[in-house]
Amino acid sequence: MDFEWPDQPEKIDEFERELKQAMERRPAPPSLKGRILQQRSARRTERVHSYTVWWQRLAASVLLAGVIAGGYGWRQIEERRKGEEAKQQVLTALRITNQVLNNMNRRLTDRNRAEK
Amino acid sequence: MAEKWHPDFEQLVDEHQSMVFSLAWRMTGDRGLAEEVAQDVFLELDRHMHRIESHEHALNWLRRVAMNRSADALRRRKVRGLDLWVDIEEKHGAPTEERQSPLSARLEHLLSTLPEAQRAALVLRYQEDLTPEEIAATVDVPVATVKSNLHRGLKLLRAKATTNLKEYIRGL
Repeated sequence: MDFEWPDQPEKIDEFERELKQAMERRPAPPSLKGRILQQRSARRTERVHSYTVWWQRLAASVLLAGVIAGGYGWRQIEERRKGEEAKQQVLTALRITNQVLNNMNRRLTDRNRAEK
Repeated sequence: MAEKWHPDFEQLVDEHQSMVFSLAWRMTGDRGLAEEVAQDVFLELDRHMHRIESHEHALNWLRRVAMNRSADALRRRKVRGLDLWVDIEEKHGAPTEERQSPLSARLEHLLSTLPEAQRAALVLRYQEDLTPEEIAATVDVPVATVKSNLHRGLKLLRAKATTNLKEYIRGL
């Protein structure tokens, strides 16, 4: 009645023989293989699709990053150009003012000399 | 140097679907669930095909994953509060194996009432003809635990058979 496991395989008795017979592999349902292959194919298609979507997203992100970087760069250049332009205008104004002041100074000097 | 093995997925399905399905059925006790488990196991194999090195490796891998996925399916069922064992013939209308004797069918049913670890050890021992060492490697537990599970499982099954199958078995 008691079963000595495992080192005495010769003790396999009628009960174990019956158990072994009961535990024979059962045939898989005929449709199982078809379903496996179908799901495999569907998953592969899905995987290819998700790769495509992934690449599209990556491309869109790179494009967006490019547009943002380009816009930022353009803005920087434009601000520098405007700054340079304003600087030139100020210098021109200062040059004109300087010239006017020189003229006034010359006239005043001339008048002082004439009065003396 | 050994030539690299190039497995053919369809051929592996052909060769091992019966083994995977039977393990899953005996572990879950539900034909429908066993089919789902078998599908998952083979789809997982498809994802791991590049790691499979030989026919033997594929066989062991399938056994191990089938046992793990069956245990997962049982756990999910427990969480959902369903019965672990479903009378497959009644619930799924699957025909009883014609070649299976009434005694075998009853024994198989009694097997389904054993604790999971003991059932796993007995299924791998008597369906797959594995040694305790091979079972230990498959279910990833110490050999001593496997031997204990085999011993206790067989003892419990004998006791249940003695009580329930008197009309079939003599001299147990």
